[in-house]
Amino acid sequence: MAIEQKFTDLINADLDGEISDAENSELQQFLNENAEGRALHDELSSLCNTLDNVEQEDPPPYMRHIIMNSVPPTQAAGDSRGFLQVLFATPALKYAMTFAAGVFLTLSIVNSNQISNQALDNVTGLVGTVAEPVNAAIADSVVLRETDIAGTVSLRSTGSLLILDFDLVSTDHIEIQADYTDHTIWFNGFAQLASEGTTVSAEAGRVRLGMEEGKRRYAVYLQNEGGRDTTVSLSFLADGAVVHQANLEYAPAD
Amino acid sequence: MGKTDDTKLIERCISGDRQAFEALLTEYEKPVYNAAYRMLNSPDDARDVTQTVFLKVFENFGQYDPSRRFFSWIYRITLNESINWLGKANRLEPLTFEAADEGKGPEQELESARVSASVQAALMTLKTDYRTVVVLKHFLGCSYFEIGEILELPEKTIKSRLYTARQQLKDELTNVG
Repeated sequence: MAIEQKFTDLINADLDGEISDAENSELQQFLNENAEGRALHDELSSLCNTLDNVEQEDPPPYMRHIIMNSVPPTQAAGDSRGFLQVLFATPALKYAMTFAAGVFLTLSIVNSNQISNQALDNVTGLVGTVAEPVNAAIADSVVLRETDIAGTVSLRSTGSLLILDFDLVSTDHIEIQADYTDHTIWFNGFAQLASEGTTVSAEAGRVRLGMEEGKRRYAVYLQNEGGRDTTVSLSFLADGAVVHQANLEYAPAD
Repeated sequence: MGKTDDTKLIERCISGDRQAFEALLTEYEKPVYNAAYRMLNSPDDARDVTQTVFLKVFENFGQYDPSRRFFSWIYRITLNESINWLGKANRLEPLTFEAADEGKGPEQELESARVSASVQAALMTLKTDYRTVVVLKHFLGCSYFEIGEILELPEKTIKSRLYTARQQLKDELTNVG
């Protein structure tokens, strides 16, 4: 015999914790007298228990970075303070950068939560330094032969990292801007070889370097979590005017 | 997090505070991802929907009605995005059971993964309307009233859908054993 709708409603309300005292009394009386009702209550109770105890899935650990990189910046890029000043003001990074001045690479990653400076508002991801020669495979490179700036910029890859390797000489102050539109890529670190006065700022989809005259070697690390084909667009500016533009392409090995 | 805390965070988000947005992201990332995952049965799709949801939230803070609770707004966006995604991908057909990923941990973990996979497969046999109320009730812990607020449906309809969904899930899980 089918259970009256009224009692199936009461059974479900009971399981959902949405039953009044009066309804509960009525339900208990029904269950005491009706074996079919008790069986349905037990079955649905078991089902609800199973559903309520299914473990929550953990989102991918990099998803938050991707989302934060996807939302538009709320601060003009020029408003960010010099990045190296922040790095050198942080004891853990002061050591790392001093080490990096003599040698070049081995990512010694420092979690970004160690850096509580507002200048890093627009930087999501990790900040790191380098301590061994760059030996990651070259995906693409470009040669510059301008009046103001000359040298090579290589895009290297190793694991989920992309490394922009700048080996340049300039006759004046140069601003370098690297743009990447893929939201699964984010700034992950910077290092330079024995030089001073460089400024670095990062925001979603863009890293900017301020390079003083002379011979310089920089490495900019990008976390390439998606591992997809991507293009990094480089612009070199002197006195606010673009003196050279180039694209570097990365395609993952099949 | 309470309604007041969310409201304060949203006010800060509207004024351009990215840290406030990140706090909302931290609070709601997991439930949004889980709701999308249970609706779509795919970690990759759930990830993409979660990203879309938070971008929509960020872009539409101006449309948020502060007299309503934030979670009802973001869950509504999540479910709508998931349903849109299902429509785009033409994945309305029930999916087959997936075996639990074996050999990754202790027996308890395997059992937990097996139950999760079985429940997920049974969920995917439900029509979207029914699956939606089950996800809200059992995976997001919403009350009848809250589900009604999110779906903009009367409580009577919510109860009816939930009861039918449970009956179908019970039968599906019993048949599978």
